[in-house]
Amino acid sequence: MEINKIIIYDTPILNVSGKIDAVTSKQLESAIDELLKLDAKMMLLDLREVEYVSSSGLRVLMVAKEKLRQRHGDLRLASLQPLVREVFEITGLKQFFSIYPSQGEALKDMLHKS
Amino acid sequence: MDAYSIVSHSLVLLQATCVILVSAYLITRSRYFVEVLDGHRTWENQLALILFFGAISVYGSVIGISYSDAVISVRDLGPLAGGMACGPIIGLGAGLIGGAVRMTMGGFTADACSLAAVLAGLAGGLIYLKTRRFPAIAFSVALAALFELFHMALALALSRPFSVALDVAEAGVVPMMLANAGGMLVFAYIVSNFIAERENKAERERIQRELDREQAELAVAADIQKSFLPDAVPADSGFDLATVSMPARVVGGDFYDFIPWEDRLGLVVADVSGKGVPAAIFTGLAKTILRASMAPGKDIAEVLRDTNNIIADNSRSMMFVTLFLGCLDQKNRTLTYANAGHFPPLLFRAKESAFSKLEVTGVALGMAAGMEYQVRQISLNPGDILVLYTDGITDAEGAGGEMFGLDRLASAVASSNHLSSQEILDRILKEVFAFSADQEQFDDITAMVIKG
Repeated sequence: MEINKIIIYDTPILNVSGKIDAVTSKQLESAIDELLKLDAKMMLLDLREVEYVSSSGLRVLMVAKEKLRQRHGDLRLASLQPLVREVFEITGLKQFFSIYPSQGEALKDMLHKS
Repeated sequence: MDAYSIVSHSLVLLQATCVILVSAYLITRSRYFVEVLDGHRTWENQLALILFFGAISVYGSVIGISYSDAVISVRDLGPLAGGMACGPIIGLGAGLIGGAVRMTMGGFTADACSLAAVLAGLAGGLIYLKTRRFPAIAFSVALAALFELFHMALALALSRPFSVALDVAEAGVVPMMLANAGGMLVFAYIVSNFIAERENKAERERIQRELDREQAELAVAADIQKSFLPDAVPADSGFDLATVSMPARVVGGDFYDFIPWEDRLGLVVADVSGKGVPAAIFTGLAKTILRASMAPGKDIAEVLRDTNNIIADNSRSMMFVTLFLGCLDQKNRTLTYANAGHFPPLLFRAKESAFSKLEVTGVALGMAAGMEYQVRQISLNPGDILVLYTDGITDAEGAGGEMFGLDRLASAVASSNHLSSQEILDRILKEVFAFSADQEQFDDITAMVIKG
């Protein structure tokens, strides 16, 4: 798994690629925690290059979302591949997240509102 | 000084260095030194170390090299190093031996030199009392050099005639400082290495013990987790049942359960987010809450709703569990179920020889309170096969990174549909392991096969 961090208008964006499984989800968690120190309210995770998310990975996303919610922010997701989308649909995680078809659309929405 | 004497002096110094090197090595490897280092002081080991360091001090007097008008000795080194490494008793004892022998050698600086040897032992001992461990090499070397400066000052203060003492001190101070600093460098290096080596070893042993203990605890945890699983498949369900649960690590986050519920049989297959110990702890919680929620008179949706609410209210760790809860009715040959975010079980219809899936009817348990779950019902006719599984089966990876997937699972079932549930399950596992032959089992595997 690889994580690229960029910040656009104070909104941290993580471009993740590879598999988010039991091992790599810990890397993702630390990367997110690192960005949480910036006091940003909104965060965007672009999963365009992610082919697999395990339940450990889903938990990391839920934890991050909860941490951001506590500071009245949110974790948004963009560009889910079909297999990843399926996991979100089956577990029901889909209904807890704002999911965008692309990073561009996510940013347009997020920056417009904030 | 001519070339010959420079070479011979150098050889003597080299000899002295070698003697100190070997002595330091022998002392540190002796059980006396180790015992004192560990704080087990006895008369025997202290006396032995006093003699050791005293002998080095005597050697330092005997080896004395005449240089110009002075005799260069490394007498103070033994007591100083002994004191620093082993404390004031050993430092002083060695100093007294070195001092007494120096006294017998006479000369107008005898008093000062003898006293210096004793004070060297005392100084080393005081440093030991203050730091309780052998000081850094640079500090030790600097101290040895400075002590020789003090030694010369002592000689000037005590030895008469003063003018002769001044000549000797002038000639000797730099060589004495260098010789003792060099000796201390060798000694401190060996002692420091020895202590570091021992500490590393102790640390390694501590980590190993810790690992052994954790492994023993994990083995117990695995036993406890196994004991949470049903001992055997219920014999009187009226259906042909088989199950398997194999954690990827010692303990895992999957579980299954059979729960007699009124006159029916409750079936559970569940997968907690994550793996290993955290997931294993959570399985115990989820299973217990589910069983406690299965009160008579409730329907499956209510059971899942209550279970979800209790887990969500108590789970600040954001752990969640995907869970399939079914209820087999022997009389009506039906399965009533609700699926809380679990991978849709695979249903094989014997009559049509076709597959369908039991889709989710609500979200995984523990994500948020207040969720609702739908109940569905299917018939299970003779020859129909229902396979409940966790993603350890469908996500098992082949050599090329490809996943086992639902299609391979379905074809394993289709090709063995005429067999018993246990044989179908064996076929599935065989195919999964053949598919992921070279890969380590990465995720917990749990499955239940129900044949009508």
